[in-house]
Amino acid sequence: MSEDTDLPAPRSRFAAWLTRSGDRMLSLKLWDSRVVRWMAMLVATALFGLVVTVPLDLYEQLGFAATGFIVAMVLSKTGSRLGTLAMMVLSVAASLRYMYWRVTETLGFETWVDSFFGTGLLLAEMYALIVLLLGYFQTAWPLDRKPVPMPPDMSTWPTVDVFIPTYNEPLEVVKQTVFTALALDWPVDKVKVFVLDDGRRDEFRAFCEDVGVGYVTRDNNRHAKAGNINAALQVTDGEFVAIFDCDHVPTRSFLQVTMGWFMRDDKLAMLQTPHYFFSPDPFEKNLETFRAIPNEGELFYGLIQDGNDLWNATFFCGSCAVIRRGPLLEVGGIAVETVTEDAHTALKLNRLSYNTAYLAIPQAAGLATESLSGHIGQRIRWARGMAQICRVDNPLLGRGLKLGQRLCYLNAMLHFFYGLPRLIFLTAPLSFLLFGAHIFQASALMITAFALPHILHASITNSRIQGRFRHSFWNEVYETVLAWYILRPVVVAFINPKLGKFNVTAKGGVIDESYFDWTIARPYIILLLLNMVGFGVGAAILFNGGSIEPITVVINLFWTFYNMVIASASIAVASENKQIRLAPRVAARLPSTVRFSNGRTIACETQDFSQTGLGLTLPADMEVPLGEKVQVSIFRNREEGVFPAVVVFNRNNRLGVHFENLNVKQQVELAQLTFARADTWANAWGNGVRDTPLTALKTVVRIGFRGFGLFFKHLYSMATAPRHTRRASAPKLDTGDK
Amino acid sequence: MKIIAIVSAKGGVGKTTVTATLSTALRYRGHTVFTADLDPQNALRFHFGISPQEIKGISRASLAGQPWAETCCQSPSGVIVMPYGSVNEADREAFENHLDANPTWLRSQLDTLGLDDDDIVLLDTPPGPSVYMRQALTTASVVVIVTLPDAASYATLPMMEGLVQTYCTRRADFSSYSYVINQVDNSRQLAKDVVQVMNANFGERIIGLIHQDPSVSEALAYDKSVLDYDVRCQATQDFVNCAERLSALIQYAGHTQ
Repeated sequence: MSEDTDLPAPRSRFAAWLTRSGDRMLSLKLWDSRVVRWMAMLVATALFGLVVTVPLDLYEQLGFAATGFIVAMVLSKTGSRLGTLAMMVLSVAASLRYMYWRVTETLGFETWVDSFFGTGLLLAEMYALIVLLLGYFQTAWPLDRKPVPMPPDMSTWPTVDVFIPTYNEPLEVVKQTVFTALALDWPVDKVKVFVLDDGRRDEFRAFCEDVGVGYVTRDNNRHAKAGNINAALQVTDGEFVAIFDCDHVPTRSFLQVTMGWFMRDDKLAMLQTPHYFFSPDPFEKNLETFRAIPNEGELFYGLIQDGNDLWNATFFCGSCAVIRRGPLLEVGGIAVETVTEDAHTALKLNRLSYNTAYLAIPQAAGLATESLSGHIGQRIRWARGMAQICRVDNPLLGRGLKLGQRLCYLNAMLHFFYGLPRLIFLTAPLSFLLFGAHIFQASALMITAFALPHILHASITNSRIQGRFRHSFWNEVYETVLAWYILRPVVVAFINPKLGKFNVTAKGGVIDESYFDWTIARPYIILLLLNMVGFGVGAAILFNGGSIEPITVVINLFWTFYNMVIASASIAVASENKQIRLAPRVAARLPSTVRFSNGRTIACETQDFSQTGLGLTLPADMEVPLGEKVQVSIFRNREEGVFPAVVVFNRNNRLGVHFENLNVKQQVELAQLTFARADTWANAWGNGVRDTPLTALKTVVRIGFRGFGLFFKHLYSMATAPRHTRRASAPKLDTGDK
Repeated sequence: MKIIAIVSAKGGVGKTTVTATLSTALRYRGHTVFTADLDPQNALRFHFGISPQEIKGISRASLAGQPWAETCCQSPSGVIVMPYGSVNEADREAFENHLDANPTWLRSQLDTLGLDDDDIVLLDTPPGPSVYMRQALTTASVVVIVTLPDAASYATLPMMEGLVQTYCTRRADFSSYSYVINQVDNSRQLAKDVVQVMNANFGERIIGLIHQDPSVSEALAYDKSVLDYDVRCQATQDFVNCAERLSALIQYAGHTQ
């Protein structure tokens, strides 16, 4: 087993020795024997069963837990995937041991109140445990697929139709995608671009005719995006279909990078690439963590899809993917039974024993949803759709799937049921602090001795597996923000999968002033207030003494405090920062030149680019009048594009220019030199700061305190503001399930 | 001694400017640079701030049987310049006849300078076939063909390549030839197309794209190299890049005495 480049190098000579020993053990000849493998498996399973079930008293358990944790810490210093797998085994052992003890020793409830809250917590814990186990299974060995080069003979390359479905997005947004699609490096006679306009807008038709791309409409909007694509499949004939949401701009290398695998694997029906966002999502924008902390989507595209790929269970994600037309038609086109038509389509392809693949190289980039309400609306759709699939086409049932595929799809679905468990965890200590319920029939020390290893092992193991793509404690923040909102749609869809409609995610907009979204924040505020009350009551109990074990109160106070931090952090997310530019800028240093109207030139580089202009860093302060007309060159190796522009900003060596009257050819060229550059997004992918749990905890606590402060600030300004200046109507969350 | 001949099939492509500026740029990279003017226009000296009254040069020295070392002038940047020299028509004809009769004249003259292996000699030549170009081509280890991004210049390139084939490629001490495209203006579609065609045809052989830039001619009027006159303009950037490529190219070229 070779070193995993995903992981940091072993940090000591002992760790390096351990890494090598593990590799040597694995390369032993005796593993080639099936008998030896089965025997080893049998013995290991028996020992594992013993570890999970053997009863120990408090001190024995403490000793056992400490030993296990020390071993895990040592393993976390090694540099191989074997080390990761061993950590997973330890974590699973600690968690199962906890759950076994929990079920056998802690459930002797005495009152109805106890058993109501106690059972609720137990069920939530069981859910979390199952998701933890499935998560380990899913990400045990990310495949890390590499691109396959296309054969040199271009006459063998297949034909590709590029679909850009749109419904109500502004033309300016769609234009950029069309221009970059036209810039794709592929034989001109083998690629066709189609705009699929469900809005049937005249300006779109005119634009498509102008630039010479296909314009496809239909006479109804049935099944939204899925129906739109299916209608286009009827009138097109390329061997492959590449699909881009209208705000995802592909790089010019997209097809060359993705198509190689289709040439090698005849059964490959779908290949997905990451969704990469060049603008901050509401978390990143409102918490100011853009590019500093991995965002919510990075775990999925960085790790989970790569893990799915090992099990041949990569999901289609609706955009930035290529599908082979034949198999797609075989499953009846894009699935229309659920609102997550993309994942469902992949499931259907897998059922017909077609392969699906994932290539973790960003070959397209898009705009993130700009407001929290929009973000939540999108996640509600995903949650609802997954619950629908769970009902109408359950991956555990039916033909055609391998066990690994069933479990990966199952985890994807179960994942969205976190709403209720998360709310239970956020309120569980209150049942004791407020109602005096004893939901845990065990001494505080015993609980600590069993629960702490379970939590700590899961935490350090996940930090190792997910470190590049999700920082510790952020899961809680991301889930808490959504928990309340996805709870009802998931339950509704699970009971009746026919309810609910597809809601389109609005993007590329402007938030013209900062505001606090009271509507969205309501559940977090309630959670915060409840936990504050609980904390107050708990503190009072502690100071007044009494018959209750102080250590029990302290543990509950800690838990409550943690919940307050998470709830406050969620409140911080609802404090919307303003977003000024319609066309977001992408930070990038590209070589360029400005040619002034007198012919003089200055070689410089860009600071950022957008669809409409450039920010340039000049080597020295220069006198440039605003409004001066210039020619700006952008270079890419030997290529040079020259674009007319006008100076709109000049201060401190920074020159801002706005493009003027670019014709279609220039627009395509601009796209080629900026958004479509093959290396633009790949360089930033997965290169963020690796997780260290303590740093992550500090960050989350800091954000929690900020959210706490913001809440009272907004409360104060609302109370003191004259009535008529209050925001007339906060944007109403469209959950799409009315 | 690494000998670089700067040539072109057509006049007016800015060959002398390219020679002078590349000499200075190579000098700024730390090389010891000699630049010899083999063009009877005797214009190279103006790029190095040599007085118009100065008459000495390699033509006069050769006719008088004096060594080249006598003709050397040092430019402010440290490039050692050997001007063509001022001669009358009769002397020029005599000089050219001399070159015609002695094909190894240039080589032996350069050898008398006693240069180190790493010293660089740039040779400026008149446009089109001539005795000067023949001497330069038969001596150089690297040939740089200067051209403009227009159809007329592009059309002359096969002829230039033919000369390189004839005089250079079979010599053991010859290393390679490359192209510099001068006065590039990619805002003009035709120029852009020609650059694209050249890029496609010559690929890595193109070691420099020098943008059209008013600073280049202004610099000459101020008796300066554009490298000093306008440090930040695009042309300066281009010459610096080109010198870097050239410097890498000659690293292993022409280790012969």
